[in-house]
Amino acid sequence: MAARQSILGRAGIVLALVVFVFAATGPIVWLLLSSVLQQQALTSIPPDLSPSSFTLANYLEVFSSAAQLGRAIINSLIVATFTTALAIILGAPAAYALARLEIKHAGTILLMVLAAQMFPAIVIAIPLFITASKLGLIDTKLLLILVYLSFNLPIVIWVLRGFFMGLPLGLERAARVDGASPLQTFLRIVLPISLPSLFAAAIFAFIEAWNEFFFALIMTRQTAQTVPLAISAFAGQYQTMFGQMMAAAAISVAPIILLTILLRNTILRGFADGMLKG
Amino acid sequence: MNRLPFIDRRSLIKTAASGAAAALVLPSLSRPSWADETALSVFSPLPPDPAPPGAAKFSEEAFAAWQKANSAKVTYDMVAWPQLHDKMATAFASGEHVWDVVYMSGWVPELAKFLVPFAKNLPKELIDDLPKSSFSTVTWDGQSSGVVFTLSLLTLFYNTELLQKAGFTAPPKTWDELKNVAKECTRDGNYGWVLNYGDPAGIGGTASYWMCFLQQAGGKLYNEDGSPAFNSDAGILALQMMMDLMPYSDPGSISYVGINDATNVMTAGKAAMMMNWPFMWKSANDPASSKIVGKLAGALLPAGPAGSASIDGTDAWTITKTSKNPELATKLIEFYLDKDVQKRQAIDTGWLPIRLSVLSDPDVQKALPNAAVVLEQANHPYDSYVTPDYNEVTVALGTEINKALAGKSSAKDAIAEAANLVAAIVKKRG
Amino acid sequence: MAPLFLAPALIVLALLLAYPVLYSIWLSLTDASLSAGQLDTPFSGLDNYRRLIGDKSVLAALLNTLYFTVVEVIGVVVLGLLTALLLNHPMARWSGFRVFLLLPWAIAPVANAVLWKWIYHSNYGILNSLLLQLGLIDHNVTWLGDPFRALNMVLLVDIWKSTPFIAILFLAALQNIPKTLYRAARVDGASTFEAFRFITLPSLNTAIAIAVILQTIWSLRVFDLIFVLTKGGPADGTVVMNFLAYRVTFNFLKFGYGAALANIIFLASLLLSIIYVRLMNPGAPRGR
Repeated sequence: MAARQSILGRAGIVLALVVFVFAATGPIVWLLLSSVLQQQALTSIPPDLSPSSFTLANYLEVFSSAAQLGRAIINSLIVATFTTALAIILGAPAAYALARLEIKHAGTILLMVLAAQMFPAIVIAIPLFITASKLGLIDTKLLLILVYLSFNLPIVIWVLRGFFMGLPLGLERAARVDGASPLQTFLRIVLPISLPSLFAAAIFAFIEAWNEFFFALIMTRQTAQTVPLAISAFAGQYQTMFGQMMAAAAISVAPIILLTILLRNTILRGFADGMLKG
Repeated sequence: MNRLPFIDRRSLIKTAASGAAAALVLPSLSRPSWADETALSVFSPLPPDPAPPGAAKFSEEAFAAWQKANSAKVTYDMVAWPQLHDKMATAFASGEHVWDVVYMSGWVPELAKFLVPFAKNLPKELIDDLPKSSFSTVTWDGQSSGVVFTLSLLTLFYNTELLQKAGFTAPPKTWDELKNVAKECTRDGNYGWVLNYGDPAGIGGTASYWMCFLQQAGGKLYNEDGSPAFNSDAGILALQMMMDLMPYSDPGSISYVGINDATNVMTAGKAAMMMNWPFMWKSANDPASSKIVGKLAGALLPAGPAGSASIDGTDAWTITKTSKNPELATKLIEFYLDKDVQKRQAIDTGWLPIRLSVLSDPDVQKALPNAAVVLEQANHPYDSYVTPDYNEVTVALGTEINKALAGKSSAKDAIAEAANLVAAIVKKRG
Repeated sequence: MAPLFLAPALIVLALLLAYPVLYSIWLSLTDASLSAGQLDTPFSGLDNYRRLIGDKSVLAALLNTLYFTVVEVIGVVVLGLLTALLLNHPMARWSGFRVFLLLPWAIAPVANAVLWKWIYHSNYGILNSLLLQLGLIDHNVTWLGDPFRALNMVLLVDIWKSTPFIAILFLAALQNIPKTLYRAARVDGASTFEAFRFITLPSLNTAIAIAVILQTIWSLRVFDLIFVLTKGGPADGTVVMNFLAYRVTFNFLKFGYGAALANIIFLASLLLSIIYVRLMNPGAPRGR
C-alpha cells in the first residue's frame, strides 16, 4: 500500500517537474527559436520550422543596425559592473553597522533606506534630469551609475544586513577580545566568511542595473544607450522585425543566464538568507 | 529592411566596435568641438523612420559639402521613434539647451512655446513649393514653428491578389463598397481589413483613424470657438462605419498598439486592405520581410457622404528657442528641403518629399508609384486637429471609440461620452 | 566607529535622492505644466490631491491596480510555495532545476514584454498555435483584445516573472526547517499533509508575510510590461496607477498632477514597507 502510494507520489513529482520545467523555460526556448527564424517563417501559420527557415541573419542584422546593440552591450556592462561594485563597497559596511554596531534609531534609518528605493521613478526622473543636465552629465555612463546606485544601494544594504545578523557571534567576540577594532573585525573576520552573500547581493544589483529601462530612456541619448533601450528600438514606428527583436532580447539575456548558471547555489543561499533573517 | 551587402555590414560592425572603444573614454573627450566650426545638434528618429541626410543613408556627400560650406558641425541624436516624445518632454522641462533642431510629429502646438516660429523666414520660393495645408499641424496661435519634410497622408492600401480572388478588379471607392469588399475578402483565414486600435493616443492612434472617417462623413472635431463639434450625425456615422468593419477586420486589430503590428499582417498577405502611411510601400515591396511583393496597390481613402478625406502624419523639423544659432539651424532645415535632397530622400529611403515639384518629378513617381495616390489624396481635406492637449484629447476620444469597437458601448453613447470628456479638456485649455 | 561605517552610504543616498524627492513632493503641490515655454510651477496646495478623488480615470486605475495586486500576490505566493515545495523534494535536487527557476526572473523586463507580445500575437503567436494543436481552442484568440482579458494576460506574464524570486525565498526558508521535526512527526504517525500543515506552514509564517509585502510593493510598480504590451489599452483596461502617473506626466505633460498620482503609489509602498520592517523587527541590534 505504502509502496504503491510512493510510486504514485513519485509519478506525481515527475509530472510536476515536467510542468515546472515547461512553464519556466518554454517561453525562453521560444525566444531562442524565434531569433534564428526568418520573418517569413515566423509569419506563417503555423510557424514554418523546416530547416531552410533557419538563419543567423537576425543576429547579424541586430549588430549592424542603427540601434548599435554592440555599443549598448559595452555600456550596459560598464554601468552594471560599476554600479554593483560601488553598491557593495558602500553598502557592506553600512549593512554591518546596522546589523551589529550600536546605532541610534537603527529602525528609522533602515526604513528610510528602504523607502529611498521606493520613490517612483516617474517623479524623480525630472528633478534628476534637471540636476544632471546642469552638471553636464546627461547621456553619460557616470549618471546612470549614480542613478542606479540610488536604488541598488538600499537593496544591498537590506540584504547584507539580514545576512550579517545571521552570522554566529563567536568569531567576532573572539576578535574583540584580542583587541581588534570593529573595522579590523569587519575586514578580516566578517567579510571573508560573507563572500557567498556578497556575491548574491552583487548579482541582484547587477541584474537590476543591467535590466533597467525607464531612467535609461530619459537620461541617455546615443552615447550612453543601454541594452534595454536597444531592444526596444527594434520595435519602430512603422515596422516590427520579430526575429530581430527576439535576437536582441536573446543577446541581452545571455550574460544574465550565464551568471545564473555559474552562481546558482550562491544566489539561492546568500540572497534568500539575507531577505529572511532579521 | 537593412539589405546591406556583406562588406558593408562587416565594416559597420567594425565601426560599432570602435564606437564601443570610444565609448570607454569620457564622453566629453569623444565629442571634440572645433573653435572655427559652429556645432548644431539635431534630435531625430532612428531610420527606417523618417531621418535626415547623414542619419539615414542618402545625400551624404551633399550633406558633407553643406557642412563644409557653412562651417557647421552637425551631430545627430537618434532614438527609436516611440522614445522621442518622452525624451523631448523631459529635456524641455529641464529648461536646459539640448538640441538646436528637433523632429516633431504633431507635438508642435503642445511645445510651441519652446520653439522658434521660423517658418515665415523661409524663402518664398520654398514656401510656394509646399502644400499650404502642410502648415496647419505645425501652426499654433498664428505662428508656424515647423516645416513638414515628408508628405505623409493616410491612404488606402490593398492586396490586389486577395481582391481578385474575391472578384474585385478595382479598389472600393465609397464606404458601401469598402464594407462589401472587406466582407467578401474575409475568407480562407484572411481578413478584409486590418488596423491598430490598441493605443488610443496621438497621430496613428485610434482617435486619429476615426478623424479620417469623421471628415469623410462631413464632420469636424471642433467648432470655431474650440468646443467639440463631433457629437453629431457625422461623428456617430464615422464610428458606426468603423464598427461595421469590425466583423471583417483582423480581430487582433483591437490589440495592436502600433501601425507596425497591423502592417505585419498586411505584408504577410493575411489582410486585404488597410489605411497606412506612404512608407508602407517600401516595406511591402522588400522581399526580406514581405510576402506581398508586387501585389500591393494604393488608392484614395473610400469616400463617405462628404467625399474622401485623410489625416496628416506631420513629420516636421523645428528649431528650439534655446538654440544659439537659429539662422544656421534654419539654413540646415532649408538644406533638408533642398530639391535634390528631397528627391534622394524619396528614392533612397521611401519617404515621400513634401515639395510639390519633387512629388511630380518623373523619377520619384517611377521609384514610388504610390506618390501619385498620396498627391491626389492631398487634394482632399486632411486635418489632424492637433492642439496643445492633443494627447489628452486623443486618449479620451480613442478610449471611448475603443469601447465601441470592442462591443462594450454603442456608437451614439461612445461619441456622447467622448464629447463630454473632450469638452472638459477644452475648458481647461482656457 | 559605527557612523564611519554607515555615513558613506547614507551621504551618497542623500546626495542622490534628497533633492529629487523633495522636489517631487513640491511638484505635487503645484499646477506644474510646460505651457509658458518653461516648467511653470504655480503653487496650488492640495488641489491635485483633491482632484484625484473625483477623477474617474483615477478610480478606474485604482480598481485595476487593486485587482492586479491582489491576484498577483495570491498567484505568486501560491505558485511560489508550490514551486519551492517541489524543488525541495529529494527528487528535485539537481541544480539544473534551480537554474530553470531563475530564468524568468533574470530576463530583462523589456525583453520579457517583447517576448510575450510575440507569444500572445493573435495571428502568429505560439500560444494560439499551441492551443489550436491541442484542440483547446477552435479559432485564434485575441489575447489582448478584450479589456479585462488583456489585464489578466498581463497579470499572467507578471506572475510568471515574479514567482521565481518568491520561490527562492520559500526554498531557503524550507531548507532552514530542521529535518528532525519531520522525523519526529513521522515517528508519531503524522501523514504527509499533517506534517505540512503543522510543521511546514507554521515555519514559513514569516517568509510568507515577507513575500506578501514585497510582492505587493513590486506589483504596485508594474510599468515596463504595460508600456510595451498594451499601452494601457484596450479601452483603458490595463491602465494601472503607475501607468496613469506616467501617462499624465509624460504624455499630457501635467507634471504636478502626475507627481501627485505617483506619490500616492509611494505612500502605499511606504506604509507597506513600515509593516515589512516591523515584521523583521530590526529594533535592537543583536550582539556586539
